Amino acid sequence: MDMQVNLKEFNTLPAKTWRWIGVNGGELDLTVPSIQPYKFQPFSGQVPDGAEIYNIIKDGIVFMNDESDPTIPPEVVKFMRTNHNSGYFIHIASGKRIEKPIVLDYKLELKAPSVLDDNVIIAEEGSEATVVLHYASQEQLEGFHFGMTKLIAKRDAHIKLVLVQMLGESCQQFDTIGAIAQDKGHIEIVSAELGGKRAFLNCKTRLAGSKSAFDMGVIYFGDGKRKIDIGIVSEHQGKNTQSKIEAHGALLDDSEKIFRGTIDFKRGSSGSKGREAETTMLLGQHVRNRTAPLILCAEEDVDGRHAASIGHVDENRLFYLMSRGLSESEAKKLLIEAAFSPVTAKIPVPTFRQEISDYLIERLNKIEKI
Amino acid sequence: MSKKKVPVIDIDRTIYDIKDKENASFKVSKGLTPDIVRQISVEKNDPKWMLDFRLKSLEVYNRLKLPVWGPSLHELDMDNIVTYVRPDTEMRGNWSEVPDDIKNTFERLGIPKAERDYLAGVGAQYDSEVVYHSVRDEVVKQGVIYTDMESAIKEYPDIVKSHFMKLVKPEDHKFAALHGAVWSGGSFVYVPAGVKVSIPLQSYFRLNAPGAGQFEHTLIIVEKGASLHFIEGCSAPKYNVTNLHAGCVELYVGEGASLRYSTIENWSKNMMNLNTKRARVEKNGKIEWISGSFGSKVSMLYPMSILSGEGAKAEFTGITFAGQGQTLDTGANIVHDAPHTYSVVNARSISKDGGVSIFRGGVTVTEKARQSKSSVSCESLMLDSISRSDTIPAMDIRNDESDVGHEARIGRISDDAIYYLMSRGISEPDARALIVRGFADPVAKELPMEYAVEMNNLINLEMENHSTGLKGGKE
Repeated sequence: MDMQVNLKEFNTLPAKTWRWIGVNGGELDLTVPSIQPYKFQPFSGQVPDGAEIYNIIKDGIVFMNDESDPTIPPEVVKFMRTNHNSGYFIHIASGKRIEKPIVLDYKLELKAPSVLDDNVIIAEEGSEATVVLHYASQEQLEGFHFGMTKLIAKRDAHIKLVLVQMLGESCQQFDTIGAIAQDKGHIEIVSAELGGKRAFLNCKTRLAGSKSAFDMGVIYFGDGKRKIDIGIVSEHQGKNTQSKIEAHGALLDDSEKIFRGTIDFKRGSSGSKGREAETTMLLGQHVRNRTAPLILCAEEDVDGRHAASIGHVDENRLFYLMSRGLSESEAKKLLIEAAFSPVTAKIPVPTFRQEISDYLIERLNKIEKI
Repeated sequence: MSKKKVPVIDIDRTIYDIKDKENASFKVSKGLTPDIVRQISVEKNDPKWMLDFRLKSLEVYNRLKLPVWGPSLHELDMDNIVTYVRPDTEMRGNWSEVPDDIKNTFERLGIPKAERDYLAGVGAQYDSEVVYHSVRDEVVKQGVIYTDMESAIKEYPDIVKSHFMKLVKPEDHKFAALHGAVWSGGSFVYVPAGVKVSIPLQSYFRLNAPGAGQFEHTLIIVEKGASLHFIEGCSAPKYNVTNLHAGCVELYVGEGASLRYSTIENWSKNMMNLNTKRARVEKNGKIEWISGSFGSKVSMLYPMSILSGEGAKAEFTGITFAGQGQTLDTGANIVHDAPHTYSVVNARSISKDGGVSIFRGGVTVTEKARQSKSSVSCESLMLDSISRSDTIPAMDIRNDESDVGHEARIGRISDDAIYYLMSRGISEPDARALIVRGFADPVAKELPMEYAVEMNNLINLEMENHSTGLKGGKE
């Protein structure tokens, strides 16, 4: 039986503005299909030395009641704790630097159409690890994915989280990430939001410790009637913290996107720096792009900047590429790939990078049939 | 160079806080009821349609809720605000006939001098009534109508009726509805087609009685190919009762016409300034907003430009300076609703002494607005760590042929800049004041001279106080 869920404070703009402009966000209405146990094993590799990787269902991990998490809305935590059907607890021992990415590969198919994965990744002092979450589905599947991932980077630790979301056009996609960085801790997140009927990404990082850092790179691709809704908050609490949010996207056909990026300098975050940049290429007559890049500041000695650039593809560049013999779709694909490359270059698994490239060609070719 | 905190003390406002004895001949009872609205209407000698409009607006006002966003308005208690106060003076055409205490206040604020110098006319609003009004002969000769709103309703009923609150509708928000119900005073300007008004028209508003709201209405119509510069300035004495200002400005810019609307707002720090300003620009027309916000306790002010004709342009240049106890939520709203429209927003803000400045922006590009361009730039300066500065822009783009750019910066006065100036023999306080004046320069240079001087004076006063706080502050 389907379940109706209303989650409050999901992708809420941290400081609200005019209602008519439609960026305040706030409530998420979900139709959750009946949840079956997820039968597959997303992690198939060897557990690297220094890491502990537990499947929360198989290994019976119960996360302590942490609904007062400062980075994920309480209702979302409660919903996931009650309904998860998969997820991992990954623990990196102090001082261990794990070179090889830990890949969790989720496939949604008829036998397992819903994934609600609940992940916690803790990197102890001085450790380092990369975790890749990959989601894909069968073409026409009406799948459902809701992921919640908590990251804790302790002193001098570095967590890199890579999300590659390539679900089919009929899937519903939701991801929420909450991260905390202690002194000199570093959170790095790379997110490729490429599929789904509607795709939500919610991410908040609290830079709690001094000299902690947050790097976020997002790419998104909208075609058909896809609705993309992204909310990213970088909360600077500690002194001399640094954040960088960059988002690059392309919108085609009738797709819609809302991007909310917030740099929030709390009192006491002196010496901190925040950067935010967004570029959006508009490639369809009926696209709708909404952007709300906020800087909130309660500290004098900080440096915050953001820039957003939204518009059509540069005709001169297109003309140049086409004069060199490329078709329009090839030229556009090249320009989109170029815009995406600062983010895609950070994806550590070559097959996933190739998958994204192939995906873009396929999507763009579909459009050029007109 | 190590960083250091500088205590900043408050501005001396005594030259602006001049109180006159309350001398009103007529005052309605507190609170807002249909009877009060009727009473206002009778006093104003409104035509029937205006009374109906007021009553309809009151209904809307009672129905609408306060906004869920923006600064807190909890101090506002409409039941305790005397909505309408008429000073004990009749309309004057001659400066010498204006009562002395009113005149003195105006003179301290430099109005008559400015008028004598080169301004075309003064519509100075004292309390809720226009007390002084004159228009230079040459402007009248050009066919320009410049009068108070009450006279305009009687003398030009057709024009007023077809434009009054058609751009800002009472349904827009609670304070627009309030304005529709209780408005009084304000200016009406009509510039016929092709007429270029070479001298700026000026209107200076003043609020006087404690607890009084001011709801002036400004309606400006600039016909095809005409041009005008209109200046609005505000300054009010300080009182203990919370004051409310909910004015409304409607600007109609015709085909190929241009209008520059300049404002220096310097309300006293107990004022709730909830003003609504909107312009509609036809084909190839241009609206320019120049805005300086210094006073008030709470401001919510976002002039909106609706670019409804092909090739229409909007420019907004603004500065906001928030000090102790102030929350100044200001910005600009641009709606591109026709092809090849163009907008530029340049906003700056300064926060000190626990003041909160917020830039709130909106850029909407509709499906129709193909090949449009918009550029928004926003810079904020924090002078200490007890203040706050937020930037809340939003963009909504609905076609794929337009270009929208936005950039914002927030930060402090750079140590390098101070160091450089000090190495050239300038003291640290002077260096800081110089940098802050430079920061405000994009606005100052767009203002007529007396206004630029008034604004610079305000900044100097703020920075002088800032300097006294710096004594012994050297490392």
